[in-house]
Amino acid sequence: MDELRLLQELNVRKLQMQTRRHFLQKCSTGLGALALGSFIGCSDSGKPLQGINPLSTKLPPAFAKAKRVIYLHMAGAPSQLELFDYKPELAKLDGQECPGSLLEGRRFAFIQGVPKMLGPQYSFKPYGQSGTYVSELLPHFSKNVDDACVIKSMFTHEFNHAPAQLFMHTGHGRLGRPSMGSWITYGLGTENQDLPGFIVLVSGGKTPDAGKSVWGSGFLPSVYQGVQCRSEGEPVLYLNDPKGMDRNLKGKLIEAINTINEEALDTYGDPETLTRIEQYELAFRMQVSVPEAMDITKEPASMHALYGTSPGESTFANNALLARRLAERGVRFIQLFHWGWDAHGAGREEALNMGFKDRCKEVDQSMSALLTDLKQRGMLDETLVVWGGEFGRTPMRENRDGKVMTWIGRDHHTECFSIWAAGGGIKGGIAYGETDELGYYGIKDKVHINDLHATLLHCMGIDHEKLTHSFQGRPFRLTDTGGKIIPGILA
Amino acid sequence: MKWYCPSFLLCAFLSCTATDKTHQNLPDLVSYNEHIRPIINNRCISCHGGVRKKAGLSFLFPEDPFTALEDGKPAIIRGQADSSKIMQRILHHDPEERMPQKAEALSGYEIALIKKWVDQGANWETHWAFLPVNNPTIPSSPSSPHPIDRFIRAELNLRSLQANPQAEKSDLIRRLYLDLVGLPPSLETVDSFENDLIHYEQLVDRLLAAPGYGEKWTGMWLDLARYADTRGYEKDAHRDMWKYRDWVIRAFNQDMPFDQFTIKQLAGDLIDNPSTADLIATAFHRNTMNNDEGGTDNEEFRVAAVIDRVNTSYEVWQGLTMGCVQCHSHPYDPIKHEEYYQSFAILNNTADADRDDQAPTLIVYQPLDESRADSIIQFISGLNPGKNKSRIKQLESDLNELPSASLPILTELPAKQKRVTRVFERGNFMLPGEVVRPTLPAILNNQIKPDSVSRLAFAQWLVSPSNPLTARVTVNRFWAQLFDKGLVATLEDFGSQGNRPSHPALLDHLSWKFSNDFQWSVKSLIKYIVTSETYRQSSNASDVQLKKDPSNSWLSRAPRSRLSAEAIRDQALAVSGLLSDKMYGPSVMPYQPDGIWKTVYSNLQWVTDKGEDGHRRALYTYIRRTSPYPSFITFDSPSREYCVSRRITTNTPLQALVTLNDPVYVEAARHLATFMENEPGTLEVKISRGYKRALIRDIAPKTLQTLTELYHEAARQPASEFSPLMVIANALFNLDQFITKS
Repeated sequence: MDELRLLQELNVRKLQMQTRRHFLQKCSTGLGALALGSFIGCSDSGKPLQGINPLSTKLPPAFAKAKRVIYLHMAGAPSQLELFDYKPELAKLDGQECPGSLLEGRRFAFIQGVPKMLGPQYSFKPYGQSGTYVSELLPHFSKNVDDACVIKSMFTHEFNHAPAQLFMHTGHGRLGRPSMGSWITYGLGTENQDLPGFIVLVSGGKTPDAGKSVWGSGFLPSVYQGVQCRSEGEPVLYLNDPKGMDRNLKGKLIEAINTINEEALDTYGDPETLTRIEQYELAFRMQVSVPEAMDITKEPASMHALYGTSPGESTFANNALLARRLAERGVRFIQLFHWGWDAHGAGREEALNMGFKDRCKEVDQSMSALLTDLKQRGMLDETLVVWGGEFGRTPMRENRDGKVMTWIGRDHHTECFSIWAAGGGIKGGIAYGETDELGYYGIKDKVHINDLHATLLHCMGIDHEKLTHSFQGRPFRLTDTGGKIIPGILA
Repeated sequence: MKWYCPSFLLCAFLSCTATDKTHQNLPDLVSYNEHIRPIINNRCISCHGGVRKKAGLSFLFPEDPFTALEDGKPAIIRGQADSSKIMQRILHHDPEERMPQKAEALSGYEIALIKKWVDQGANWETHWAFLPVNNPTIPSSPSSPHPIDRFIRAELNLRSLQANPQAEKSDLIRRLYLDLVGLPPSLETVDSFENDLIHYEQLVDRLLAAPGYGEKWTGMWLDLARYADTRGYEKDAHRDMWKYRDWVIRAFNQDMPFDQFTIKQLAGDLIDNPSTADLIATAFHRNTMNNDEGGTDNEEFRVAAVIDRVNTSYEVWQGLTMGCVQCHSHPYDPIKHEEYYQSFAILNNTADADRDDQAPTLIVYQPLDESRADSIIQFISGLNPGKNKSRIKQLESDLNELPSASLPILTELPAKQKRVTRVFERGNFMLPGEVVRPTLPAILNNQIKPDSVSRLAFAQWLVSPSNPLTARVTVNRFWAQLFDKGLVATLEDFGSQGNRPSHPALLDHLSWKFSNDFQWSVKSLIKYIVTSETYRQSSNASDVQLKKDPSNSWLSRAPRSRLSAEAIRDQALAVSGLLSDKMYGPSVMPYQPDGIWKTVYSNLQWVTDKGEDGHRRALYTYIRRTSPYPSFITFDSPSREYCVSRRITTNTPLQALVTLNDPVYVEAARHLATFMENEPGTLEVKISRGYKRALIRDIAPKTLQTLTELYHEAARQPASEFSPLMVIANALFNLDQFITKS
């Protein structure tokens, strides 16, 4: 036990030394306190550790399989019935009235009266050695199924986008809780001190319904919030030097600021001043390292062909390639949001037979490329990739005010939806959980969002019951009062 | 091993852990609050509290440990430690049986304390914060005439620490200005103060009377009130709340007594003949979020709003974490699950119901139109409706043409429509349980428990002499603004899981003075604190001070604290001469980078205000909950979804990027550079003047040398729109001492 601890501490020291300056030497608080006190998240005093870089790498846990997460969120909630949850029985009922038993006492976002059942709109086939069923809309991804675990029995309690997205990303359907990425960087710090530890990329033209709260730090210190990097304009807000400020001069400026700040440090002995000196150096480095990491034009033509990128635009394909670049550079949590999956059928763009197909095209090639690329670089084993929406879609065709609409669509559905996970600690080539013949209810191995979170944290080497933070008088955690690890999907 | 006998081992254990030394140190009389409660709270209550009661044992209510458990015996028999089960279990030889289970054993000293306490009769004491505020004796000893200093120095003496001398005048005046009005002083004022043309007390009075005083303290209050300009949730649409913010500014500036300030915000609609201002005050509890998505159940979100009102009311005035009791009895404090819903019942009968139109609302006018609107309304009411029909019609249309806003307010439902409140099982509104009456938690209300408490009575009770918490929680908030840390560090939690006060007698002294001598005057309280020597001392830290008191709990030096998000921006605009002093009115949209507000289902646009409105104090900046002003968030301002008592200060590279590169700071640097340019004299004089204007103190020779070298470095570059003096100004805005108050 002690030997293991020593080894781990040694490892941390090594990582610490890799940062440009081992500033802790000057600091009165010992390294041991940081390494052993804060990691397992038991340090729930509610206070950030003063004078210590809160993002420095913390103890790599012994049982961790994954070092980082790439989370691909399809905002608006893609239909599981058109992508992963193949329901031949539902096809037979297409056009028939929905049985009353499925409607009794239920609330839907839009459906009123008695809707008609809607069969799968696309054909399915089994793929790979595992024979995982995938829809014809995902021809690229179907080649990667042996690396992925498709979970068909996810369920949620929230049937509107914003609360459901918050639930998915913060474990709670209301604003104010820390997001998954915040919890993980709070627990583990990050490996690359020249880049933020938690980076968010958005495509599809709009931020998710719940706004930036889905990557907010809630009641955790704000240093753990996701930093949105943008494919258009400055990659990070206020990253670019102002007009007329020369890079070399900027270096001199930072040097002068830090020289004067060191005098203040001598006078007041304030550890915050020391941290500030370090943060100015990091800001200066980030001004170079972030644009460098965010510049996909450096990638060879073969990579652009693999992902199907279009440099200069904020597309999902560009962001997928960026995700790999950031993963390579040691960013702990990389989160992509792609907007436009809310296929109600109220308009062309959001019809299952129209816009939905386009969305699939926008993500299929690049999400498949991401898995292929990570695998060929030997990174997939230590990178946990997750893909999914915030809830599912109804097996009934949506109506508005009880009337049939021109386009085909499905309403929001909380009882079941499908996601996939691959890499770091996840068993590939399996489908987990089952839904009933109509795809209405999960009937086997149902997975609560808290369970998914507990499992993701487990893959990262974090005990979800121990990573806590005290707020308003009680300890909180990502899984709140629930969460069970799902052994069936672990490698 | 034949002689094995558990009691022998027990004795051996006691003799080797509880050494003679610890026995000698045991207090003559063991106090529950001082000695026993901390052990119970840290080591026992998570399994034996309000949520989990393993083996039927809880330490929450005084009767609990003395009543028989599941096995028929009580945990504690008063006066008989050796026969008490608690001793048997904490001393048990079998690690499986020994308490605390699966955790480290109690120390020998802790065990000896518990034993002595039980032998002395196991006297239970109420948690300190629930005891009435008394007026403690002021320590007589040291030299200072100010009672605050006497309390502080009595503690310093115990720790062989000495208070620092007074801060340098330039540091002191900057600190006082930033604390009282949130802005730095002008160079002229600094000169007058340094040359003794104006005295410290005169400055204090001047600042307390300045309009900026109300703006500064409103900033603190708006975090508690979770004030924002939008409704929250998915659409996060606009809502007119600014009139409430203006009410708070006026209340602070008029020094409205805090008891009135409380009653008006919680129940201004229920007082006799409420004025328009009294109704505006009730918007405090209309800052709750509002959901207008398709398909949502209005009742669900109405309930969520009332829950937030209960939690916020208790956090703001009582420093209690009532949020815990929503789902189950409080795990750590003696408040029962049904008591939460008794408080819920008090606030459950307002007319608002998460409607899209925000009803009920009050029509309010912009500052400049207010008096005109008032006079029209007054004039109409004086006219005879029969005789002056057309005139009235004309006047009403005049009134309608004035730009107005609809402020959501509180009104009470008529008696017939009153809602019945039930306990929600596990906090779920779909699982209603027993009906409850509107009344107060027993632990906080030692008088007769009234059967029915109105919202007005609730507000009055909060500020009544019988309430032990409001004065303590409130003076602690103001203290924390001035000293960076509360006397109770957990501003939001005065319950048993919160920190104990560092200076309990001082806290009570201030609370007593505030609610008695000062008649709840906030200005008197602030003046009392800032005129102490403790407030005025320097913040330099010697090695001895850093070693003996690294976190400065005992205040042998003034604290150093980073300025708030608002103050950092206001200060840069002020020292560059850009800051507008325009007060009140709808929130403004100063520069923010393009593309921040890409939200769905909403047409709300960020339209950058040009001119004066682009340079207003940060307090007036539009706050959209799902996308607040980016540079404020970077400096830890909350997004105002829920009540926040304490901002956690962070220190990140993104903050450096704001003050280095944000066009707001670049523009300010340009203006400060112009000021330096126009100062007569050598380059050194110009830089020194700029430094003094920004940092108030005189520049140190080494600093001047560093900045002069930087200037020459910049001057060697090809000419650009970033002039060398701008580079200097840019450096000044990024100095530790600029963004820190020392």
